[in-house]
Amino acid sequence: MKIFSESHKTVFVVDHCPYMAESCRQHVEFDMLVKNRTQGIIPLAPISKSLWTCSVESSMEYCRIMYDIFPFKKLLMAALAAVGPPNPRADPECCSILHGLVAAVETLCKITEYQHEARTLLMENAERVGNRGRIICITNAKSDSHVRMLEDCVQETIHEHNKLAANSDHLMQIQKCELVLIHTYAVGEDSLVSDRPKKELSPVLTSEVHSVRAGRHLATKLNILVQQHFDLASTTITNIPMKEEQHANTSANYDVELLHHKDAHVDFLKSGDTHIGGSSREGSFKETITLKWCTPRTNNIELHYCTGAYRISPVDVNSRPSSCLTNFLLNGRSVLLEQPRKSGSKVISHMLSSHGGEIFLHVLSSSRSILEDPPSISEGCGGRVTDYRITDFGEFMRENRLTPFLDPRYKIDGSLEIPLERAKDQLEKHTRYWPMIISQTTIFNMQAVVPLASVIVKESLTEEDVLNCQKTIYNLVDMERKNDPLPISTVGTRGKGPKRDEQYRIMWNELETLVRAHINNSEKHQRVLECLMACRSKPPEEEERKKRGRKREDKEDKSEKAVKDYEQEKSWQDSERLKGILERGKEELAEAEIIKDSPDSPEPPNKKPLVEMDETPPVEKSKGPVSLLSLWSNRINTANSRKHQEFAGRLNSVNNRAELYQHLKEENGMETTENGKASRQ
Amino acid sequence: MPTVVVMDVSLSMTRPVSIEGSEEYQRKHLAAHGLTMLFEHMATNYKLEFTALVVFSSLWELMVPFTRDYNTLQEALSNMDDYDKTCLESALVGVCNIVQQEWGGAIPCQVVLVTDGCLGIGRGSLRHSLATHSQRSESNRFPLPFPFPSKLYIMCMANLEELQSTDSLDCLERLIDLNNGEGQIFTIDGPLCLKNVQSMFGKLIDLAYTPFHAVLKCGHLTADVQVFPRPEPFVVDEEIDPIPKVINTDLEIVGFIDIADISSPPVLSRHLVLPIALNKEGDEVGTGITDDNEDENSANQIAGKIPNFCVLLHGSLKVEGMVAIVQLGPEWHGMLYSQADSKKKSNLMMSLFEPGPEPLPWLGKMAQLGPISDAKENPYGEDDNKSPFPLQPRNKRSYAQNVTVWIKPSGLQNPNAEIFLPLIDRCTEDFKKCKEIT
Repeated sequence: MKIFSESHKTVFVVDHCPYMAESCRQHVEFDMLVKNRTQGIIPLAPISKSLWTCSVESSMEYCRIMYDIFPFKKLLMAALAAVGPPNPRADPECCSILHGLVAAVETLCKITEYQHEARTLLMENAERVGNRGRIICITNAKSDSHVRMLEDCVQETIHEHNKLAANSDHLMQIQKCELVLIHTYAVGEDSLVSDRPKKELSPVLTSEVHSVRAGRHLATKLNILVQQHFDLASTTITNIPMKEEQHANTSANYDVELLHHKDAHVDFLKSGDTHIGGSSREGSFKETITLKWCTPRTNNIELHYCTGAYRISPVDVNSRPSSCLTNFLLNGRSVLLEQPRKSGSKVISHMLSSHGGEIFLHVLSSSRSILEDPPSISEGCGGRVTDYRITDFGEFMRENRLTPFLDPRYKIDGSLEIPLERAKDQLEKHTRYWPMIISQTTIFNMQAVVPLASVIVKESLTEEDVLNCQKTIYNLVDMERKNDPLPISTVGTRGKGPKRDEQYRIMWNELETLVRAHINNSEKHQRVLECLMACRSKPPEEEERKKRGRKREDKEDKSEKAVKDYEQEKSWQDSERLKGILERGKEELAEAEIIKDSPDSPEPPNKKPLVEMDETPPVEKSKGPVSLLSLWSNRINTANSRKHQEFAGRLNSVNNRAELYQHLKEENGMETTENGKASRQ
Repeated sequence: MPTVVVMDVSLSMTRPVSIEGSEEYQRKHLAAHGLTMLFEHMATNYKLEFTALVVFSSLWELMVPFTRDYNTLQEALSNMDDYDKTCLESALVGVCNIVQQEWGGAIPCQVVLVTDGCLGIGRGSLRHSLATHSQRSESNRFPLPFPFPSKLYIMCMANLEELQSTDSLDCLERLIDLNNGEGQIFTIDGPLCLKNVQSMFGKLIDLAYTPFHAVLKCGHLTADVQVFPRPEPFVVDEEIDPIPKVINTDLEIVGFIDIADISSPPVLSRHLVLPIALNKEGDEVGTGITDDNEDENSANQIAGKIPNFCVLLHGSLKVEGMVAIVQLGPEWHGMLYSQADSKKKSNLMMSLFEPGPEPLPWLGKMAQLGPISDAKENPYGEDDNKSPFPLQPRNKRSYAQNVTVWIKPSGLQNPNAEIFLPLIDRCTEDFKKCKEIT
């Protein structure tokens, strides 16, 4: 549907003439308990509504459905409540429907907010914004010629107003107007006006006439019209189990009919080969598609492949089954709907779900997927790498979640700040230095660095932040003085890992890279770097001594980028070499497996379980002739096991795999996710 | 987007083509040559495309049902017999049936019609079909427009002059018009020879079968990716903004949202995001699909061992149960998430939302989404037990208000039917059971 189609603007004109105060003569029995009543009391007489009441009620129902389904971009003009019931004694001449129609045309010429917005946006193409509308006039006409007179009047008024609008910036010419005349009369009377299908009176105006009895008939008519005007279709949810209060153990099944945009049925229309032509329109709207309720079993949060979501409105909003269904959904539950098939196979085609107080009918795809049997991500680029920092990136994602900022904020220079741009900014800052795999990094494997790493990415630092960063750095200096082991990768060395002082040099380099990436954020970031540089600077002779014998590593100093790339590259060469050596040396299977599982990292260090590094005891001395590998892995294992309590997950793990976030499952009933599966499958 | 190749095997396709200094060719050989080229291209650059082969004369036959096995298609091409006259309408009806049976009415398909521009004679000819087009009833509707989103590519084994000498071109153009203008006619430039057929099919490949390459970005973390199937241009509103929108080749992640908060949003289309390794010339090294070819295999293996951002992102999205919101263009967004198929394989998938400032009412305006660190207090709560979503609409819908429930007279007289309660409590019991089991 075009945004500015006839349905963009609808004006209701309800006749307020004395005749409308007459009874619709459809009786409403309201004295229901007559059977149980004791004898002798005179039953109350049935009542009936006036024509005016019927018209207003039906119009309101039309509006209700429309507003439920199109809360935006569709406008209605109706100012009924203020008018009050018509006065039967008023002079018929002074409240002619003609004034209403003229006012309606006038209103259609006015530019709506949406049109204005679109015109401003399109600039020179503003003429693309259409101005069409619909006038629904509920009246009591005297004859066919009276109807013609009304039509002529509208025609003429449009003509006049278009002339006016052509010379005005605040008005738009009416390109197309649909006049829907509804002639209503009391039940039991004969209609003096005949029905007439849609007819083009002029290029601008089309008109149709409906002659309807008042009361229930008028309401039904407007219900059909709202469906036609706004391209709606109807779905009946069947088999909804509801308990009855008096029989709490049994449940009965009820049906609820909903209205929604007809695109929600697009699959049925196409596959069912029911191409609705213009002629059979009337009939097709009474059809409803039946979908079966599937009682939800779990609260699993799943991402369905949904091709459309359409707002709904119950046909009988006041009926008990309807309100039960809507309340159930509004409480946050989703319901899958099944398409009844002759073959008996079960096809879920729709889902009802509420999002913040609005109920949507989701269309789920039930046909074969063109993306079936895709290559798994583990078979593609990067699929063989097993030590991605999955958990760390998960943490990163949680820190970079989005939230709505509804109040506008302004930058210092007074321009409007776009929250989404702020989000991109933050991602940029947070990823300036972010190694993707565990073996590429030392500092992110160290609990001791966390206080610095988590604040340095911020746009601005507080004094406290700076203090914390400095503390972190002093702590690291302390660790170096005590010669504590680091969770450093063995990549880049042959056989044996780098010496302790070398490890610290790599760690300091990496830390410097991280801090340097952020020094332009603020002067306080600069101070953190200054502190870092001051702390790591060594007496010249010591530095000199260190440099000797490992010139190879000096290349790393060149630039941050080079550090990463170089290490990465080397890691491949070296791990391949290492594997070669292993095969030749016919190492024990168990040992080979350690290598295979994590080709380039020691025991994947986990950030959280690490306790104070300071408490680490000195490393064990080597005993006897053992292979380099077992020597190294024994050392690391003992060192690791002493400096922390065993990770609870590892203690309970099966095949070295522990289930993460078990508490989540308990809380939400979420599906379990296997640890590390994503990276290893 | 699946492809149906509809090949004309009427007698007129056996008309000889004179090529100097070589053996005699028939038009059908030219057609087979062009299709071979198309299949070869797909086999290397567009491997996930499903293709079916239909041949037709006065009857039609599905030679190869939808497959990704291009050898089968190739084989079928070389085993085609010659039949009688061209009868296009029945073939198009056949295409309708085949596509609807396989994919339903919502998946866009490409129909590649290979013909020589001889449209048949008498009943069933295209001229006859078009002449009677306005007198159709519901039961024998003309198959165009196809009852599914489609592109109709007509590959003519004839050059423009030949087609213009009769009314063939006009008729074929009518066909495209009848398909709501979705499609294109290709003709051979210059004399009929293998080279010119190749260039004609080359144009089709450029138009419809070039892989869509993009760069996935999250701040400084990037990966080269192929997006499959190619995202199609999208028209928001014909009247106001008739220019189709095309997605950026930079797919920029702007932030993350929990799956529960995004809650099965409606999407225009779904696409696989496959990491690719580009070498310096910009050619693909591996698309992540294993192949028998040894060179490619080793290239794949090397690429497999280089850390790739897609794999990291996929792993974390899967573990955390989140989606990444990605910007596709001005006021156009989509989401990236992990999608597992029944065989326990999982993949990075991208879904496109409808373009516009507010594609999902429950998230509000996309531009108004910002980082949680800008909020005074964490909207997700300290223990991650809250969520800022869904946004509440400004006005309550009619059913969300405290409605007065009316009871029909019949309901009142039967006290049993007085008050209903949905089976909420039964569901709660189910949850408890589920928890116990897991």
